[in-house]
Amino acid sequence: MTSPLIACYVTGLHRELPAPIADEAADGLTEAYEYHLAAGTGEQEAARAALAEFGELELVVGEYTRQAPGRRAARLLLATGPVAGLCWALALIPGRAWTWPVPATARLGYGAALLLTAALLLAAATSRHSYHRTRLTTAASPLLLALDATAVAAVALAAPALTPALAVAAAFSLSRIVFTAWVLPRLTAR
Amino acid sequence: MKPEAQVLKGHLDTLLLASLENGPLHGYAVKEALRDGSDARFDLPTGTIYPALRRLEAAGLVSGTWAEAGGRRRRTYQLTPAGRRRLAGDRAAWRDFASAVTAILEPAP
Repeated sequence: MTSPLIACYVTGLHRELPAPIADEAADGLTEAYEYHLAAGTGEQEAARAALAEFGELELVVGEYTRQAPGRRAARLLLATGPVAGLCWALALIPGRAWTWPVPATARLGYGAALLLTAALLLAAATSRHSYHRTRLTTAASPLLLALDATAVAAVALAAPALTPALAVAAAFSLSRIVFTAWVLPRLTAR
Repeated sequence: MKPEAQVLKGHLDTLLLASLENGPLHGYAVKEALRDGSDARFDLPTGTIYPALRRLEAAGLVSGTWAEAGGRRRRTYQLTPAGRRRLAGDRAAWRDFASAVTAILEPAP
């Protein structure tokens, strides 16, 4: 029991949102529609009333996007960026890390992956109307895990000595590995 | 957004939890409870209730379940024990805050 107007809106929900969320919202819209039908309103009018009460598609998608777990996680992970950068800069610059035996291609690859990760997180964190964009955090998180793990491994394998600054930077990256690993399943589940 | 709507947004979580205090409700009934309980002053677009319920669900304060009724699947929401505790805390905090504001705005003669 539905109307073309409701069906059109539900199609929009499914286009803009993951299926479980779209189903949930569609259920709410159908409930509103049935409520108006039960009150004796004609089909067309009931559909119009339900849609008016429900809110514009853009508003509803925007609200889901604002509260998306991927968006919140991206903001948290981005916030760790400057701290991680500072820790590693304080550890690597005095340690003259450019003299370590790390191939130039590996350095370039690391830099490119770091930029890509930051760009993905930034896109997810700043999304206002696209729920799908908030899911970029799911792609960025494994990259961030790999970057942190690589940084810690590089210290273990290539650093001539473990200075206190290197230990702090590695500890920060290890903490972020734990946090990212905790966040990741919560993103993929939704 | 009207100033009242802005203020309401800050208390939406508590109001949603309160609307579920007496038992499980469908999302549309939650919206109705908010509207009727506030003499139609809190009449949010229904579509914005669901993202908020989902967030409360992710926080473990509300649990949503699908059930077959009237020939189709419907989702109902209910408070979890953590949701009840949060509601009790929010209610106590609101009473403190409201009595302090009242004491200032309407001092005893």
